[in-house]
Amino acid sequence: MRSTLIVCIGNDLVADDAVGHAIHKVLTDSSLPEGAILKFLGLGGMDLLEAINGEDLLIVVDAVQLGGDVGTVHILSWEQLPSMEPRPVSGHGIGVKEAIEVAKRIYPERVPGDIRLVGVEGICFNKVGHPLTPEVQRAVPEAVDVILRLAAGETVS
Amino acid sequence: MGQTIKIDPVTRVEGHAKIELECDDSGKIEEALFCVNELRGFERILVGMEASTLPQITARICGVCPTAHHLVAAKALDNAAGVEPPPAGKLLREFMYMGHVIHSHSLSLFILAGPDLVFGLDGAVATQNIVGMVDKDPDFAQKGLRLRSLGQKINETIGGRGIHPVTAVAGGISFKLNPAQFDKLKELTAEAVTLSTELAAKTKALLFKLFDENPILLEKLNLPTWYMGTVNGGKLNLYDGDIRVIDEAGNQKIEFGAPDYTRYIVERAVKNSYAKEVYFDFEGAEHMYRVSTLARMNVVDGIDTPLAQAELEEFRKNFGRPCHNAITQMYAKLIELVYACERANEIMNNPALAGETRVPAKFKGGRGVASIEAPRGTLIHDYEIDEKGIVRAANMIIATQQNVAAINENLKEGANNMLKDGDDAMLNGLEFIVRCYDPCLACSTHAIGQMKLDVEYTRNRKCIRKVRRG
Repeated sequence: MRSTLIVCIGNDLVADDAVGHAIHKVLTDSSLPEGAILKFLGLGGMDLLEAINGEDLLIVVDAVQLGGDVGTVHILSWEQLPSMEPRPVSGHGIGVKEAIEVAKRIYPERVPGDIRLVGVEGICFNKVGHPLTPEVQRAVPEAVDVILRLAAGETVS
Repeated sequence: MGQTIKIDPVTRVEGHAKIELECDDSGKIEEALFCVNELRGFERILVGMEASTLPQITARICGVCPTAHHLVAAKALDNAAGVEPPPAGKLLREFMYMGHVIHSHSLSLFILAGPDLVFGLDGAVATQNIVGMVDKDPDFAQKGLRLRSLGQKINETIGGRGIHPVTAVAGGISFKLNPAQFDKLKELTAEAVTLSTELAAKTKALLFKLFDENPILLEKLNLPTWYMGTVNGGKLNLYDGDIRVIDEAGNQKIEFGAPDYTRYIVERAVKNSYAKEVYFDFEGAEHMYRVSTLARMNVVDGIDTPLAQAELEEFRKNFGRPCHNAITQMYAKLIELVYACERANEIMNNPALAGETRVPAKFKGGRGVASIEAPRGTLIHDYEIDEKGIVRAANMIIATQQNVAAINENLKEGANNMLKDGDDAMLNGLEFIVRCYDPCLACSTHAIGQMKLDVEYTRNRKCIRKVRRG
């Protein structure tokens, strides 16, 4: 059976950074395809090392700023994943890519077969206590749909 | 109570650390100022809240040392309510804390400082990062990352959450360990002790290499100051005890309980920074002092766990007591990491851990003060709580704030010695000095990486030149 790990990342207190949390909430109440596991991490970083376990597919869900229209749901392959700064000034500066690169070297058996980032383009990341912006809120069902189809083994681009 | 140094990671997701260097006419640096723009606010935000929420709320002050705030707030509530948690409650809190210290010190040593240790200070930027470090030394990286993770799991098992724990309450801990949690913690702590021993030898070798390659740092950064740290029966204790202060010659000046801190600790507002300088007021004179790992190694008579005690003895053989050199902070951190693993294992095997964990606590109206050794130094919480259990005033002495005066002194000395080396070397050198203190002024400056940094040269307080990175 195909195994999929869905990891949602975000801060539910900070405007659009909460989109991973919002999606996680919807997915928690959804029926996931067989073999799919759902996890929530506040930050990605090195904790991702402990979350992965050699699944066939890892779907990372987070808010992104790639320069698209606000609310756009991006689906990025491993090759398209952005890197963080080479010298992080804190544990927060370690991203999905770095964590997986580290895993490849020290826990190769934990590295998922394929990796996808489902990222929702956000605009507001500095207002504590603010809700999602309306465009990002409207994108949640689309992101959930994309994640469920990816987890079911469909090709989504 | 008008003290207002606080950390809010949410507002500090970006930002520059700024260093101001005041020169005389010949270009010699007369004064160095490490400046931060801190949000002042937590002590005000807390006023009017229910005191019972303090351990949860104050944990949110910091994403780096949340467990220190969580526990010291709970201890201050014990103090305000006039209760003492039962032995199992105290042991569980300390056990949780050892998990946190293992996590925090491992993150600092192996992830943030790791690339500096593995590649040296002049390594190529392209490889000097966590991935490059794993390539170069996968065994070191794997063990370091694993140890960090073990610490976080211990913290999570007892604290209920990995980052911002929730289980410490006035009067103790809100739950008892079940058999499955016992078994899990036993496994985690045993592995932590083994790993820390393996890592200690390797890390020490890397540290000595770093010292050997940078003799100027060892030579020039010797700054005699007073030191402060917590002891219990004279021995190192991170969770509880009396605050001991020694002078620059190593003479013990005083030991006092946290409630007496206002008699000795004075704060002074400084130009250009929200971080006040803090001094130790003793017998009519003000003394510059330092806290954190090196300070603790200097104040303690010894360490109660055998492996860490052996490390401390070796440290003292090499650097003396007191050691005044800020660049040995990482070494001191390693000793504490070994201690935290051993102490966690000791608590794990203490039968008293299975007892009652909590006593009832009721606020009668009055003050509650407590201290703890946060990873970066002595942390004090001080509250006025009324008879309805509402916070009426709050004051905190944050670890890093107490080191600002010494950071400035080290920067002045360092800058004068590195002026001739060019801007890049100067930026790297000054940054390294700041990093030695691992300051947790805010999320953007607590760490070891390539900081965004501004250096301003001023003469008669007017900017004459700026060097900027980031």
